[in-house]
Amino acid sequence: MNYAARRALQAVLLVVAVSAISFALASLAPGDYFSEMRLDPRVSAETIAALRAEAGADRLLPVRYVRWAASFARGDFGVSLAYRAPVAPLLWPRMRATLLLTVVATALAWLLAIPLGVWSATQRSGWRNGLWNAAFSILLSVPELLLAILFLAFAARSGLLPAGGMTSPEFAGMGAGAKLGDIVSRLALPAAVLALGMLPVLARHVRAAMIEAMDAPFALAARAQGIPSRRLLFHHVLPAALNPLISLFGFSLGTLLSASLLIEVVMGWPGLGPFFLNAIMARDFPVVLAVIVFSTALLAAGNMAADLLLYRADPRIRFKT
Amino acid sequence: MLALAGSAFAEQEERLVLKQLSGNPGGSLKYSLRSEPKTLNPVTATDAVSKEVIQRLNADLIHINRETQQTEPALAKSWKVSAGGRAYVLELRRGLRFSDGAPMDARDVVFSFQVYLDEKTHSPQRDLLILNGKPITVRQTGTFQVAFDLPEPYAAAERLFDGFAILPRHVLEGVWKAGKLADAWGLGSPPSQVVGMGPFRLKEYVPGERLALERNPYYWKADRNGNRLPYLAEAVFTFAGSEDMETLRFQSGETDVISRVGAKNFALLARDQAQRGYAMRALGPGLEYSFLFFNLNDVSHLSLPQVSARQRFLGRRAFREAVSRAIDRDAIARLVYLGYAAPLAGPVPAGNRAWVNGSLPKPAPSVAAARGLLAADGFSWSRDGALLDPAGARVEFSIVTSAGNADRVQMATLIQSDLKELGIDAHVVGLEFRSLLDRVLRTKDYDACLLSLASGDADPNPDINVWLSSGGTHLWNPGQQTPATPWEAEIDGLMRRQMVELRYAERKRLFDRVQAIAMRELPVTPLVSPAILVGARQGLGNFRPAAMGDHVLWNIEELNWQARPGGAGR
Repeated sequence: MNYAARRALQAVLLVVAVSAISFALASLAPGDYFSEMRLDPRVSAETIAALRAEAGADRLLPVRYVRWAASFARGDFGVSLAYRAPVAPLLWPRMRATLLLTVVATALAWLLAIPLGVWSATQRSGWRNGLWNAAFSILLSVPELLLAILFLAFAARSGLLPAGGMTSPEFAGMGAGAKLGDIVSRLALPAAVLALGMLPVLARHVRAAMIEAMDAPFALAARAQGIPSRRLLFHHVLPAALNPLISLFGFSLGTLLSASLLIEVVMGWPGLGPFFLNAIMARDFPVVLAVIVFSTALLAAGNMAADLLLYRADPRIRFKT
Repeated sequence: MLALAGSAFAEQEERLVLKQLSGNPGGSLKYSLRSEPKTLNPVTATDAVSKEVIQRLNADLIHINRETQQTEPALAKSWKVSAGGRAYVLELRRGLRFSDGAPMDARDVVFSFQVYLDEKTHSPQRDLLILNGKPITVRQTGTFQVAFDLPEPYAAAERLFDGFAILPRHVLEGVWKAGKLADAWGLGSPPSQVVGMGPFRLKEYVPGERLALERNPYYWKADRNGNRLPYLAEAVFTFAGSEDMETLRFQSGETDVISRVGAKNFALLARDQAQRGYAMRALGPGLEYSFLFFNLNDVSHLSLPQVSARQRFLGRRAFREAVSRAIDRDAIARLVYLGYAAPLAGPVPAGNRAWVNGSLPKPAPSVAAARGLLAADGFSWSRDGALLDPAGARVEFSIVTSAGNADRVQMATLIQSDLKELGIDAHVVGLEFRSLLDRVLRTKDYDACLLSLASGDADPNPDINVWLSSGGTHLWNPGQQTPATPWEAEIDGLMRRQMVELRYAERKRLFDRVQAIAMRELPVTPLVSPAILVGARQGLGNFRPAAMGDHVLWNIEELNWQARPGGAGR
């Protein structure tokens, strides 16, 4: 319990520190939301000054931070300068879309990575090992961005899958099955890109952890006792290889809100990515800060979840703490 | 009040009949916006994308026809001007209704302008209603008549009415009185509460994805057969996020119309237009223009010694003229815009047919002439060919431009190459757009800047702050207390005269003179005006893209799907 409380306190401090640094950096960036208006010859300097004052942009940085932090702590995430609307209702639907994409992609990547990693750990020499190494090295070196562009080009050329969006304009009038099919067809490309991006890293970690566990004396002894290799791998070696994978899984959970931002922008997925990018470009700082704080909180929560799982799975950690 | 409302409702509807127009009712039009609109509130909207949607939901009293660039009756069926251009009396159409079925009359018009003029709502459009520091006043002179009193004559004042959406008093008066109008009509508002006089009304908003509009059954325009417009039953705006994604969606058939396509994507789309069932069109230059300008601000009090040192040559007229002569605008049009751009002879693009000064000489690049100008002004060259200013210092400066705009970066790079021929070492510095604006308009820490602007109207008056030395968008030296140079004082005088002159020919003469002075002094070096590149799926009737505004949806109420061989419209 003490361990969990200590980790929770660390997570809160991390979020506060990240929010303060982000707030300071955002405020120090040249220009603000109203800068672009200055280029409109029809809008006077007085009107822009009045709008800045209304948004509180003319107050001192510490005053703005304290006001923002206080309202954030009350569950009021501020008002978007661009949308002139509270940030929270703008965030939720986009967060849902992002989570749908990242949860599917992460699950897909893990479901492929574990059997592939375990299998490759058993193929430590020969042409299969070479093939595995080559395939994953190539996949690791291809940027996700390039994959996204290739997949988009495929969609546009072939017409087999739609390019961009989460639902089609006719979505509201569809039946349940057609709705599901519509979402799946639009989810397929960005989810595949993300999963392929994660796959080589995860599979290599699984392989490394499995190899280490397979070389451990207990595994050699088990093999000597004639335990079948499948049983040995999945019942004895895999649980022993779990520690680094649990940490990695926690990290996967923690990056659910942030892992897909760039891919969402490129592939037109209506999640936090395009929303966040536009907010940065427009200097809509209440939105930017809310996204950063939520992403940090989720990252901290993911890491904490991993630590707690490790705590539960590995008695050595319990003993040390 | 009830009696008045009742009488307005009982009036015979005075629809605007478009006598040449015909089309087929029904169908849906899908169009992608580059980003998500931010609001549906016409009072507070500042971004172009929001305005693009808002214009479909609302109507104004007098409208500028985007095709002819001339004003035409809209909710006001006629108007009279008196008192030397100071008084406008507008006669409203009778029996019109908002999209929720409530009647519209003069009280809605007076209410609308009260809101726009209210300082507390901070409407960016308010400044258009302030002439020489004094507001325009509005009063009701009948159930269907309103009078506008201007503090001073204002040329083409009827153009001011374009873009001022008439608001439903019955929906927004309470919100306004509660001081909440600026927050009204956000994207999350229930569709039934977003009420206007435009051809469509809000049907559905899906965050981050799309916004669907449905036909306004009370719209006040009809075709030659008496059919109420719009023809389309639905218009769906999807949010693409980028020009490339817009291109992909149009190419794959997910959208029906595309606008503001870059030259490279236009060429890509045009390649297989026949097979894919759409037609691409290059309309020639519009109202957008790109230009290079130099920092002519007084920076002596700003601790910018390097900028100040470079102003010794940037401030010389002969230097600016030499730079202008060295730039190969045809090469910019050819290489950056693949030929879909027109070189600029002056600060007004050719797409602005009514106001461009056609007598300005066409730019002809000549390195020899540029070198001659520099030599005559005391510049010289070092042994290694570098240009030296009259004080003997190397001529070296930076050109800042928007890093996110590949066309501008490429233009700046071509200019850098042209200036190399003169021995000038120009450095291209790409900056994020708001950082760029911060430098140009606030810190003044730059030497030269490459930008593009698109005028919202063909008339010079809305852009007056670009020309007046006191203007905030007088980019090369904004917000001067008194004109810094005699030629800026002359431009100030000419612009103020044309602003109150009511005769077009005289205004044109004055504005031609402004353009000639600008090209003589060259605080701004005009570069090119890109062509308007658009496309539409085959079978879209009455598709007449225009130079002004959003180019393709200005007549959305007229667009319709024509019956096609083997099938009905979409």
